[in-house]
Amino acid sequence: MTRVLNAFNRVTESVAALMMAAMFATFILQIAVRYIVGSAWFAANFGHIVEATTFGWTLEFTLAMWLWIVFWGNAFIVREQDHVTFDILYLWVRPSVRRWLAILGALIVAIGLLASILPTWDKMYILRLKSSATLPTKMLPIFSIYFLFLAVVGLRYLWRALEAWRHGVGDEGHHLVEVPKE
Amino acid sequence: MSTELIICVGSLFFLAGIGVPVAYSILIASMAYLWANGQSIGLVGKNLADGIYQSFLLLAVPLFIVAANIMNAGTISDRLLNFCVAAVGRFKGGMGHVNVMASLIFSGMSGSAVADAAGIGKIIIDMMRKDGRFTPGYAAAITAASATIGPIIPPSIPMVLYALVSNASIGYLFLGGILPGLVMGAVLMAMNAWMAHRRGFGIDEPVPLRELPAKTARAFPALLMPAILLYGIYGGLTTPTEAAAVAAFYALLLASLFYRALSLRALYHIFVDSARSSAAVGLVIGGALILNFIVASENIPAMLAGTIAALDVSPIVFLLGVNVVLLVLGCFLDATTIILVIIPLFLPSCRALGIDLVHFGVVAVVNCMIGLITPPYGILLFVINAVTGIPLREIIAEVWAFLLVLVAALLLLILVPDLVLFLPRLLGYQG
Repeated sequence: MTRVLNAFNRVTESVAALMMAAMFATFILQIAVRYIVGSAWFAANFGHIVEATTFGWTLEFTLAMWLWIVFWGNAFIVREQDHVTFDILYLWVRPSVRRWLAILGALIVAIGLLASILPTWDKMYILRLKSSATLPTKMLPIFSIYFLFLAVVGLRYLWRALEAWRHGVGDEGHHLVEVPKE
Repeated sequence: MSTELIICVGSLFFLAGIGVPVAYSILIASMAYLWANGQSIGLVGKNLADGIYQSFLLLAVPLFIVAANIMNAGTISDRLLNFCVAAVGRFKGGMGHVNVMASLIFSGMSGSAVADAAGIGKIIIDMMRKDGRFTPGYAAAITAASATIGPIIPPSIPMVLYALVSNASIGYLFLGGILPGLVMGAVLMAMNAWMAHRRGFGIDEPVPLRELPAKTARAFPALLMPAILLYGIYGGLTTPTEAAAVAAFYALLLASLFYRALSLRALYHIFVDSARSSAAVGLVIGGALILNFIVASENIPAMLAGTIAALDVSPIVFLLGVNVVLLVLGCFLDATTIILVIIPLFLPSCRALGIDLVHFGVVAVVNCMIGLITPPYGILLFVINAVTGIPLREIIAEVWAFLLVLVAALLLLILVPDLVLFLPRLLGYQG
């Protein structure tokens, strides 16, 4: 079980890293195309083997990657301690009280996110008709990542509530930074 | 203030108060608002996704995070640090000055105070504690204080966020931050020198002056980064967002090809870590944009502007008042939420009172950065506590002196707008 989970974590992490790298590379490509391919020097030496106008998709592609990084990332690779959290009260109370705060908070988040899946679908369903401006797809597939986010994070918080119920909560100080690796 | 808004704010404070991450507290509170208002809670997702998808400016945030992570992973930070030690380590209070100077130089690259404190901050703290020349609390406190300079000198993630809500020019905001950043560095160095005399901190073995040129040469390509960034933006070559990508790319080239200090494996981890922090920050930003929308639709900024107009306060009194409010809020809220949700409340009043929005923005960002080191909720204090293990109590005991001079610097910036506006005007800002 642990091995399956570890493998799953590695896969989701590498997908996130890949999207980050793709976003970054597309930006560089966009700048390079504008200043190199668009230059008189390039036209004089290489003619029109590459057309700058064929790169109109870069802007929207980076935005799509950013959207996916945010929701994919929060669904799979952002851990509880990576979030900005005000834990003064949470850490101040007795562990027995803290356990109930953790259960209550996790349940509210889980219910809220899961309950919003259908209403969100109602609002976004119309996007199946709307074409993306420059990418060869409709808008719904691009925004669909949000549903994965709602479902996965909702289930994660249900799990968190269950864990707190069964085992209580430790002395977790969940501050927002991860300690950088040496 | 409508009942729906009270429900929204109430649930936000309740959830955040019991330890739910801020991002999710905002999402649930927004749903509570819509539900109480009889609207579909599905609008939250629609607004969130639209907000993220439509803001090109926000793309600078993940890119600056990538740039900062590359700088911290390669040996770029070490080279810059050696240069700083050679340049200012010889003076009384040596490593304290090195600390401030390193922050000044680093701030020209990373754009994030947390990245500065966790990366180069940790290295300097270890150097300061070696041989017991400085107490751990003092080393941690001056590191936290100097890390606040990071987002004042461009590039700067908080200024990108301010530009988003105020429509002020990000280019002029970046320029406007340069002098204030130097002022903050100067007051911190002065405080450090005074403390070093008073408490008799030891002096480091000075690096011989003849070694200075060599150290400078080794650090030079990294020192060029801020220049490249600013030239890109002001030369009209790149948009500020693209400049962030260029900065990250330059850092990547330096670390991998020029300094040969970056393996593929390390690069992979940089991308994973960057995706992780970008995702966490992105969700808070997206949530804050929804709150911003709710607050605007309740017409609160205009009501506030009307009240302030009726009070007939002078611009300077208004600025001082807003800054006191922000300083107090900074003790409890994080900078992203303050900039995206609280600051827009005051923008209509600023316009009505004729306060320059670039001046206001820089002052507000400086204020929010001071909020990062104000106890009890100072993120930088937590970060340094987390990466070094120095107890929070010791850090807080030493941070007051630096807090005092930073607030004095803030007051100076409020009273003398020219400090902020001199450089933007020099480059054509009409304000």
